[in-house]
Amino acid sequence: MAISEEQVRHVALLARLALTDEQVANLGDELNSILGHIDTIQNLDLEGVEPTAHPLETVNSIRSDVVKPCLSRELALKNAPDTDGTAFVIPQIVGPGGGDA
Amino acid sequence: MAKDRLAQVLEDWEAVIGLEIHTEITSSNTKMFCGCPVGFGGEPNTRVCPVCLGLPGALPVPNEYAVEATVLAGLAIESTIARWSQFHRKNYFYPDMPKDYQISQYDLPFCDGGHLDVQVGEGDGAYETRICVTRIHLEEDTGKMVHVGGAEGRIAGATHSLVDFNRAGTPLMELVTEPDIRTPEEARRFAQKLRLIWLSLGISDCSMEEGSMRVDANVSIRRPGETELGTKAEIKNMNSFRALHDGLAHEIIRQAELVESGGHVVQETRHWDVGAKRTSSLRSKEEAHDYRYFPEPDMVPFQFSEEWIEAVRAKLPELPDAKKARFVEDLGLSGYDAAILSADISLSAFFDSAMSIGGAAKAKAIANIMLNDLAAYLNTEAISIDESRVTPAMLVELVELVDGGTISSKQAKVVFSEMAATGDSPGAIVEIKGMKQVSDTGAIEQAIDRVMTANPSEVEGYRGGKTTLLGFFVGQTMKEMRGQANPKLVNEVLLRKLG
Amino acid sequence: MSEFDVSRLTGAHIREGVVTGQFTAREVAEATLARVEALEPTVHAFNQVTPELALEAADAVDSSRAQAIADGLDPRDVLGALAGVPAGIKDNMNLVGTRTTCSAKILENYESVYDCTAVRRLLDAGAVPIGKCNMDEFAFGSSTENSAFGPTHNPWDLERVPGGSSGGSAACVSASMATISLGSDTGGSIRQPGALTGTVAVKPTYGRVSRYGCVAFGSSLDQIGPFARTVEDSAAALAAIAGADPMDATSAQQAVPNYVRAAAEGATGGAKGLRVGIVTDLLQADGCSGEVRAAVENAARIYADLGAEVGEVTLPASAHGLSAYYIIGPAEASSNLARFDGIRYGHRVEDPTDVLDLYMRSRAEGFGPESIRRIMLGTYALSAGYYEAYYGQAQKARTLIKQDFESAFKDFDVLLTPTSPTVAFKIGEKSADPLEMYLSDVYTIPVNLAGIPAISVPAGLCPSSGLPIGLQIMADYFAEETMFMAAAAFEAAIEFDARPPLRYESARGTRAAQEERR
Repeated sequence: MAISEEQVRHVALLARLALTDEQVANLGDELNSILGHIDTIQNLDLEGVEPTAHPLETVNSIRSDVVKPCLSRELALKNAPDTDGTAFVIPQIVGPGGGDA
Repeated sequence: MAKDRLAQVLEDWEAVIGLEIHTEITSSNTKMFCGCPVGFGGEPNTRVCPVCLGLPGALPVPNEYAVEATVLAGLAIESTIARWSQFHRKNYFYPDMPKDYQISQYDLPFCDGGHLDVQVGEGDGAYETRICVTRIHLEEDTGKMVHVGGAEGRIAGATHSLVDFNRAGTPLMELVTEPDIRTPEEARRFAQKLRLIWLSLGISDCSMEEGSMRVDANVSIRRPGETELGTKAEIKNMNSFRALHDGLAHEIIRQAELVESGGHVVQETRHWDVGAKRTSSLRSKEEAHDYRYFPEPDMVPFQFSEEWIEAVRAKLPELPDAKKARFVEDLGLSGYDAAILSADISLSAFFDSAMSIGGAAKAKAIANIMLNDLAAYLNTEAISIDESRVTPAMLVELVELVDGGTISSKQAKVVFSEMAATGDSPGAIVEIKGMKQVSDTGAIEQAIDRVMTANPSEVEGYRGGKTTLLGFFVGQTMKEMRGQANPKLVNEVLLRKLG
Repeated sequence: MSEFDVSRLTGAHIREGVVTGQFTAREVAEATLARVEALEPTVHAFNQVTPELALEAADAVDSSRAQAIADGLDPRDVLGALAGVPAGIKDNMNLVGTRTTCSAKILENYESVYDCTAVRRLLDAGAVPIGKCNMDEFAFGSSTENSAFGPTHNPWDLERVPGGSSGGSAACVSASMATISLGSDTGGSIRQPGALTGTVAVKPTYGRVSRYGCVAFGSSLDQIGPFARTVEDSAAALAAIAGADPMDATSAQQAVPNYVRAAAEGATGGAKGLRVGIVTDLLQADGCSGEVRAAVENAARIYADLGAEVGEVTLPASAHGLSAYYIIGPAEASSNLARFDGIRYGHRVEDPTDVLDLYMRSRAEGFGPESIRRIMLGTYALSAGYYEAYYGQAQKARTLIKQDFESAFKDFDVLLTPTSPTVAFKIGEKSADPLEMYLSDVYTIPVNLAGIPAISVPAGLCPSSGLPIGLQIMADYFAEETMFMAAAAFEAAIEFDARPPLRYESARGTRAAQEERR
C-alpha cells in the first residue's frame, strides 16, 4: 500500500503537524520504505487468530471512588505557555473543530 | 405559531430523529479516571491533577462507582449488559480536551440496546410509543472554555479563550437512541422520562441548565412511506426541554422549506440559538472526522460476571412507571394525580414518606393537600419541596386533625399556611390559635337559637320557601361561634330547627 | 576519604560501606559528582545533573544512619536497600525539582510537578539522584542520536553510539557516573544500550513496574527497568521499584519475590538443571554479526558446563515482530504524543493566528524528525480504511508471537539470543536510513510484544573491535527470579570485569583542556 503525497498531507492534518513541501516529499519516501517492510504482515494468514491488545490477561482493574488531593493551581499552571493566573490562555478557535463529547 | 407551521410541515413530511444524551454522573465522588472531586463550577483549575490535566506520564485508572452507575442505568432501561467490555481512545484535537484524545467506548459499550415507552399528548390524542436505545457507554467529560472579546462569551468574534479543566474527566454516560422518534414532542417526552429515571437511580442531578444533562439530536426528513433515511443534521446546544422541542421544530421546518425550495440538506452540526429561535451551522470549515479509535492500552478490559450484574440489578429502585401504577392500584389515587406525583422524585419521595407514617388510608387526602395547598405554596414561594418547612409528618398530622373532626377542612387551609410559614406542627398551631372546632351540639343549638331570635324575618322567609337563606344562617352561626363550629353539625341542627 | 574510585564499587558495596560507616553517602555522592564533572563533557550522558538533589538525598541517608545509631538500632535494618547508591534517571521520568524533557525541544523547559512511581520508590530505597539521562527523543531510536540536545557517546569508544533509546542511562553506568540507573524499554530501549555499553540491563515483565510518571511511548509495550554493572545490583534495583501501583491500572498485583537472593543463588549455585533454550532461527537471522553469534554460542556452552540442559528452540512468529512492532508502537505513540500541543505546557509557536495554527506549527517545530516520522506512521496505521490491515493484523501477529513463547517456556526455563545483532556502531552510521536503525531491535522487540521479562548481560568483548557484546536471557511471565539466577550464574562464570577505556585522570585533563580552549 503505497502512500501518496495527498495522503501524507491528510495524515499530517490529522496529527496536527505543519509540514513543509520538502518534509511531505521526504516523509512520503520514508513511510513508503517502512511500509514496504511492514506490509509483509498483510500476507500472514491470521484467520481466526484473536488479537492481543495487551500482554497480560488481567481484567477489571479499577479504583474505589475516593477523593484524593488535587494539584495546587500554581502547579497546575506552572508550565503553561500563556496564563492569566487562573486559566490557560489560548488564541481564538476557528477552523476544524473537535469531536462531540 | 411554529407549532402550527410544524403541524403543516408534518402533513407532507416525516421527521426522523435520534437523540444522543450525555449525562454526567454527578453523584460520583471522583472523576472518571482520577481522584479529583466532581462538582459544578469552582475557581478555575482548582479541581485538577496530573491525570485530568493530561500531564506527561500520567495514567488513567477507572472509577468503580461510575462503571456500576452506568450498568445500573442500562438495567433500568432493559439494556443487555456486556459480559466483556473495554475503553477505547477517540483521537481528535480540541483545547478543552487535555490528552487530545477522549477515553470513551467504541464497539464494546457497557450497555447494549434497551428501550423506553413514552406517553405522548393528553386526552383523546394521547398515545404511547416505544423508543429503542442503541447503547449506553461511559466516557470522560471535557474541560470548559470561556471565550473572551466576542459577544456574550461566544466563540464567534472572540479574540482568545480561557481554558478551565475542573470539569475535565467527569464521568459522562452517553445514551444513543435509534432513529425512532418522529416529532419534537416525542423527543421531549423521551428526554423527560429518561431524566426522571436517572434521577430515580440517583446517579445524576440531570441539570440541563448547568450542563450535567445535554441532549443533542440527529434530524432528517423524508416523505411519509419512504424507508430510506434523508441526510441528517446534528443539532446541539438545546439547553432545556423547551429548547429541545423548539430547536427540533425549527430544524424540521428549515429542512422542509429548504428541500421544497429546491435545496438539499447538508450533513453538518448546527447550533440552536434560543434567542434568535433558529439553528445555525456551527463550523465554518467542516473536517471529515477520523477518530482513529483503538483499544485504550492504559487499561485492561472489563469482564462482568452474571453474579455481579445481578448484584447491581438488586440495587435498582422502584422506577417511575412502577411507582405510578402503585399509586393508582394500591393507594387508589386517580391516574392524573399519580402521574404528577410519580413524575417528580422529591414529590413522590415526600408522598411515600407520608404514606409510611400515616398509612394508605390517608393517601387521597395527603395527595390532595400536596397537589393543591402545598403545590400552590411552593409555586408562590418559588422553592422546592426539599427547601420548604413542611414535612410528611406534618401533613399526616393535619389530615388526622381533619379526619378526627378537630378542625374543619376550611380551618385546615389556615393551619397549612401557618405551618408552612413557621414550621410549627399543626397540633401546636390549633392549640395556640384556639382553633378547635366545636362539636358540642348544645353550644351549637344555643348559638342557632340566638341567631334565629335576632333574625325573625329571615326565619319567616325561609319557612315561606326561601330555602337559599340556609347559607345566611350557616354564616351567621359560624360568626356567632367565631368560626369554630363543626359546619356539618351546624347544618344538621339548622335544618332541624328551621324545618 | 574525599576521593576514591567509585567505578570499582558496586551498589551492594556502597550500601555495605554506608551501613558500616566505612564511608558516608555524601562522600560517595561527591566522588560520583566529581567523576560526572570530569567525564560528562565527553560522554554527554545527562540532560541535567542534579548535585543539590543528590547531596540532599545523600545527607538524608547519612542522618538516618546517625539517627538509627542514636536510637540503638542497627543501620542495616533501617537504611533502604539502595542507601547511598548513585542513580541516573532517564529523562522521560518525572521527578519534582527536575525538568523532564524526553530529550525533545517541545518539552525543553518542562518542569515536573509530580513524581514517577518508580523513581519515587528508587529514592525511597535510599538511592541518590545524580541526574536526568539523555535519550532518543521520546524514546524513538536505538542510538540516542535522536536527542534534541545532542548524542550521547559510548564510553567504550566515543565515536560510537551507546545504543538507545536509554543511551544516557546506559552510558552513565558504563562510565561509572552512576552506579545504577533507570531506563525504559518499549522495543529494546534498555537491553540494546545495555549490550552496547557492557552493562547489565533489565526489561521486567509488562506490569511488573508501574509506568505512572514515565512519559508514554507505546503504552502496551513500555516497561521501566534498571541498568547496573552487576546482576546483583540490577536485582536490588528492580526489587526496589517493582510492585502494584494504584496509579497504574496495568501494574501487576503479584507479590515481588526476593530477586537479590535469586541472583545470589545463581552466582553460587550455578545453573545446574536449568533448561536453557538457544533460539536458533533468530540466531541465524541475516544481519547478525558472526562474532555476536559466536559469543551467544559460547554462552550456551558455558551454560552446559555449568550443568544446564541446553537445547534448541525456534520462535517462527518473531519474524513478524518488527512489522507488528512498527505498527503498534507508532500507533500508540501517535495518540500518546497528541497531548504535546502547546496548550497546557511545552513549546508554543510565536504569534499563532488561531488554535489550529498553534497546534500545527508548535508541534512541527517542537518534534524532531524521528518523532514526526513515528507520529505520521502511527496516525496512518490507525486511520480510516487502514486500521484492520495494519493495527488489526499486528495485534493478531502479536498473539502468535506470544503463543510461540508460551510454547517455548513449556520446555525451557530461559531462552538465549543476542541482545543486538551487532556491537556499537559509529555515530551517523545508521541515522540516514530509519529502517536500518529499526533492525537494531530485531531480537528485543518480540519480548515487548509478548510482555515477558528479559535481561542483557555482558557476554565478553568482540575480538575484532574490543567492544562489548550482550547476551539476552528471556524468561517466562513474572519469572524474574529464574532470569536473575540464570544471569548471575553466567556472570560468575565468565567473570566479565572489563571497564571502558575512559581514563578518569585523562578525562579530567581533557576537560581542563576544553575549558582552556574556551
